[in-house]
Amino acid sequence: MEIVIKLLYVLLGLFIILNFGMFMSVSMRKIVARIAGRNGVPFYQPWIDLTRLYATRDSISHGIMFYLGPVFRLSGGVGIFLFMPLIVGSQYFSNFSFAGDLILILYFQFFGMLGMALGASESGSPHSAIGVSRGLSQFTTVELPLTLAVISIAIQYNTLSISEIVNAQQGGIMNWTVFTNPFATGAAMLSLLGAFSHSPFNLIKAPNEIPIGPPTEYHSTFLGVLRTNAAILHVIEAVLFMNLFFGGATNWVELMIKSFLIYFTSVFVGVAFPRFKIEQSVQWFLKVPLLLGIIAVIIYS
Amino acid sequence: MTIKKMDTKKNLFNWTHDRSKYPEIKENGEADIDLTSHKYVKIWHGPNHPGVTGNMALELTLSGDEVVHAKTHVGYLHRGFEKLMERRLYIQCFPTCVRLCVAEPDYNEYLLARSVEELDNIEIPEAAKWLRALSLEMARLATLLRTVPGQAGTLSLGMGVQWGVYLRDLILDLFEELTGGRVYHMYIIPGGVRGLLPDGFKKRMEEVLVKIDEFQKKIDDLIFTNAIFKKRTIGIGVIEKHMVDSYGVVGPNARAAGFARDVRKDYPYLIYDQLDWDIFTLKDSDVYSRSLVRRSDLRVTVDLIRQIMAKMPDGGDIRAQTPNVLHWQIPKGEVYVRSESSRGEYGYYVVSDGSKTPRRVNLRGPSYTHAVVLLEKLLVNANIADVHSIMVSLQTCPPEIER
Repeated sequence: MEIVIKLLYVLLGLFIILNFGMFMSVSMRKIVARIAGRNGVPFYQPWIDLTRLYATRDSISHGIMFYLGPVFRLSGGVGIFLFMPLIVGSQYFSNFSFAGDLILILYFQFFGMLGMALGASESGSPHSAIGVSRGLSQFTTVELPLTLAVISIAIQYNTLSISEIVNAQQGGIMNWTVFTNPFATGAAMLSLLGAFSHSPFNLIKAPNEIPIGPPTEYHSTFLGVLRTNAAILHVIEAVLFMNLFFGGATNWVELMIKSFLIYFTSVFVGVAFPRFKIEQSVQWFLKVPLLLGIIAVIIYS
Repeated sequence: MTIKKMDTKKNLFNWTHDRSKYPEIKENGEADIDLTSHKYVKIWHGPNHPGVTGNMALELTLSGDEVVHAKTHVGYLHRGFEKLMERRLYIQCFPTCVRLCVAEPDYNEYLLARSVEELDNIEIPEAAKWLRALSLEMARLATLLRTVPGQAGTLSLGMGVQWGVYLRDLILDLFEELTGGRVYHMYIIPGGVRGLLPDGFKKRMEEVLVKIDEFQKKIDDLIFTNAIFKKRTIGIGVIEKHMVDSYGVVGPNARAAGFARDVRKDYPYLIYDQLDWDIFTLKDSDVYSRSLVRRSDLRVTVDLIRQIMAKMPDGGDIRAQTPNVLHWQIPKGEVYVRSESSRGEYGYYVVSDGSKTPRRVNLRGPSYTHAVVLLEKLLVNANIADVHSIMVSLQTCPPEIER
């Protein structure tokens, strides 16, 4: 019976995160629109879009793997969610977090990318091949400083459990990792820019360069699945950073404010900078973020 | 076609040091590309592609991320403008000719009107000259408000474009006041212009110009001092000095290569000899230099509009006496007239056989040379990520190519 209640809370958490993700994305669009001197889309737009996409059917076929791409992607996003503790001390909103969940979540981050790469490759579009090679190159270098930051805080807190890392940061703002381990936070926050793929790191879809491929070939329900994943993933990745570096959240309001601000960082950078080329992006992650990550590991090893 | 050696000194990680996969150059200078070898991939940018300006396509052959061969394709827009004009009265040609460049239509009506006037020896009134110059500079301003920040837009920094489009709308509002039309104006007609300035126009224009001054400061901060923008544009798409004449490079693209060329200075028309400004040139001739030259053009255009507003007469005749336009037979002859559009020298060659309709109208638009032969040359060795940036830096307008 307890597992059923737990599952219901997990589904409730997923529902909240999905809707908050859509609210967060439309809020960002509104903020960017206001900076640009526009009104932007109405607040209900993402729900309308999602409903419309799920109500549409595809009439052509690109092969099974092509259609499994978005499914893998969604599995990655939901996988991260399932093992992510959301609210500190909450028995039900801690999801299925366990002692080594941090490693599993890092794996799930790459899982979705790989699935998407397989699906996009199946489309046969040369643009997809370019996008996939760019995406995997960038994500590999994004993961390096992030992994070093994670290793550093794992050594610092002597655990690979996100719940224990969050618990160790309770008791005051100065206990947050951002103050106790600023190098790891710096490395991770810079990686975050790449993980969210806003400009200057929006190389995979790369409007004006290689826009043909997954963004246009995945449509109808498949695009709906990708949009659903994006809404979940953006929040849950922000929650991961919140848990690791900013003291976690003791309630939903705190979670929403913190994850909103973390996500906003990448949007803020995105509106102020143009896009890198892939080699520039890779080199950028292999310089300052990697160096910060190495320093963070050396300090705590 | 020549394949340049990559400068490995600047390439920290020496990403593409092995160039054995690149095509051999045949004796005729063409690259020897065998698509069945699987070393190359062919992709199309356009005709429906956000990275292509207007209705044209680029056929790109890639080796990895690098373009080894590029071919421009047009033919998606051809409506036979020039041929259509041969069957219409001169006055009926005006609504047609403005479609030759949607973004900057006023130069077409000015040049066609001036062709008619030169063929029939008509001298237009002084006030009409100032009003024509005002209309042309407003058209240049409306174009530059899109193209200057648009260069950053090609690299996904679209904020400046959105600010610029808003201001462009304010200029279109003023065009609507002056001419009755927002995009196509048909304000300049043979013998002069269609109307005087509306009441309070100068004050409203100055209010918009003040906003554009603020916009210029903002885009300097956002774009031209931006480290990544510089990184993406400096040293990219370089037009060598020897290419300027051989490829017919004009306007901002030539000025960025160090050639102080501006039809308004070299062959003054209307009232430009009474205005005070300097030609801004740079030498590096890359995408960044061309952006800076257009940035300077924006500043100069705002300044010129202010000078025109201050110096222009408040009233007076705006049209010379002309025959009835429905029965106007233009004397036999031929003429080439030119003006400086935002893209460079823009000229009309008009032949009259003495009838009511032109025998031949031929447009010399800068896009024909810039977007076909020059672009194909500049794209070789370029990264796929730079294709759009290089194309926009040449400021192409496909309807000009397909006349």
